[in-house]
Amino acid sequence: MPEKRIVLRNCNAIKPNRISTYLAGGGFEALSKVRGMSPEQVIEEIKASGLRGRGGAGFPCGLKWELAKNSEGDGKYVICNADEGEVGTFKDRYILERDPFTLIEGMAIAGHAIGAESGYIYLRAEYHYLLDSLMKAIEQVRKRGFLEQFDIDIREGAGAYICGEESALMDSIEGKRGEVRYRPPFPPTKGLWGKPTIINNVETLMNIPQIILNGAAWFDQMGTERSKGTKVFSVSGDVERPGVYELMLGSSLRELVEDLAMAQRVKIVQVGGATGRIIPYSMLDTPLSFETVLGAGAITIFDESRDTIDIVYRTLEFLAEESCGKCAPCREGTEALVGILSKFSRGEGESRDIVVLEQLSQAMMLSSLCGLGQAAPIPVMDSLQHFRDDYENRIAEKMAVQ
Amino acid sequence: MKNIAITINGLQLTGREDMTIFEVAQANGINIPTLCYKSELPPIGACRICVVEVEGSRTLVGSCHTPIAEGMVVHTHSPKVLATRKVIIELLLASHCGTCFMCSKANMCELRSIAADLDMGLPQVPTRRLYYPVEDVSPYVIRDLSKCILCRRCVRACREIAKQNVFAVAYRGFESKIVVDFDQPIDTDVCRDCDVCISFCPTGALSRPSKVTDEKKGRPLIICD
Repeated sequence: MPEKRIVLRNCNAIKPNRISTYLAGGGFEALSKVRGMSPEQVIEEIKASGLRGRGGAGFPCGLKWELAKNSEGDGKYVICNADEGEVGTFKDRYILERDPFTLIEGMAIAGHAIGAESGYIYLRAEYHYLLDSLMKAIEQVRKRGFLEQFDIDIREGAGAYICGEESALMDSIEGKRGEVRYRPPFPPTKGLWGKPTIINNVETLMNIPQIILNGAAWFDQMGTERSKGTKVFSVSGDVERPGVYELMLGSSLRELVEDLAMAQRVKIVQVGGATGRIIPYSMLDTPLSFETVLGAGAITIFDESRDTIDIVYRTLEFLAEESCGKCAPCREGTEALVGILSKFSRGEGESRDIVVLEQLSQAMMLSSLCGLGQAAPIPVMDSLQHFRDDYENRIAEKMAVQ
Repeated sequence: MKNIAITINGLQLTGREDMTIFEVAQANGINIPTLCYKSELPPIGACRICVVEVEGSRTLVGSCHTPIAEGMVVHTHSPKVLATRKVIIELLLASHCGTCFMCSKANMCELRSIAADLDMGLPQVPTRRLYYPVEDVSPYVIRDLSKCILCRRCVRACREIAKQNVFAVAYRGFESKIVVDFDQPIDTDVCRDCDVCISFCPTGALSRPSKVTDEKKGRPLIICD
């Protein structure tokens, strides 16, 4: 399947600092259409489209909106998660740089659907340079009168990976230390400042205006049975043509990695960033979908010159550094995993260390408070599954020296 | 308030709809270990020792903060739960200072007590230990943060019960630390003698400065002359 531009349709086609170019291409028609619909109708349309969250977890978008709409209480919020902290993702940056208007329109539609009057864009600290252009874009939309019922403000992060996690993100907006909260209650019931809140990824919201204009049935016929529409991928690593690609969900990893990004001598593809799955070359025909592997669409390619244990070790070092430190299994577990992996990377690993790695991983997956701790052992477990020889060879090498 | 029927370890139990799994279990004599939860304090779900298996749930859930739901089937001591608790305790012990014999909390330490209940040996996980100098500036509280397990009971107790806000968490991940102000030793300017935090500390991280006890202040008792 070739590239298909739905989310990125306006990127490089409009001028991001000129609302007139967006309006000329049918901009804000979806919002006008939505204003004539009831919130129930809008939510029904999104539910029927089968749109799922693009931030990695894949929660059904319409269902999230419905939960927030049905929650008691006023002062609801719409938050756009533009933290994009996942290692190897840069699709949201690409979108924010080139097409802020579709995002604003998507948020306004979400606001109408759940009955919210205000929303926030949570911008990651490293994207500070985009703040000015985003504020100007919002101001232009405001001047045209599209934000009279629903206004948008921007909040900046301070450089923590964990603040891309929705509950830590809300703590950060509230001015607290960015730490995860336990759930339930989920944000659609009790979110920002205790009010019903929806938090959607940039890419999810970018899909909304198109679904409203073209109808749920149009969206529903794209993709696979449980993964509808397209996905924007950020491809980096050992490839000739790194960059942002939008493909139909269900396309094979091989098509993206070898045909489009022109990678050669592929050894490992990490799908979904630091906490993503490790896919060996032999599994390159895996389709990209929520049913198989996807995450937030970060595709990092490692060729045959790379060392598996080194990749896993560096990944875990990153996760240990970024653990918020609230829950014991993640705080202590990531540190312990790093300790054991560093032994392997120095060539001092022992066979019993593999057992400890597995026990630790299992406990962390089962008991951590949030997705970071639950997913941190994935690179360890996947590498032990597909590249166990690499670990065992290290142990054998050590024995040979002794 | 509505009553809800749930099953814990095969027993048919009921609880009010605002109760957590932990509260229902406790009310019925089922003991779930925990290091961060205290009924007087709001739950935070940090230590993860109280995790239980709920049928149909992908992961284990923290019983101290998860409300009960109709028809919930819970296992508080299944093999999966026990194995997980052991790993967490082992991790906490591995980075703990390990000077139990010299610790004033020795046999009253909740971490040690849970470790003993779970039949744990010495920790096998290779990990770092963080050592901090003991803070004894204040005449009211001694802080030995090498023994801190970051349960945050002191943070919550100070805020919720003493109505002060002396403690906060600084740094992140493994380096996380309970701090006063901008990571300064606790002194009389910020903290007066209320003892609340000390009584909540599960380990020997917070203690009262020791004084010569009354028993040694009286007239010497001389048995024979």
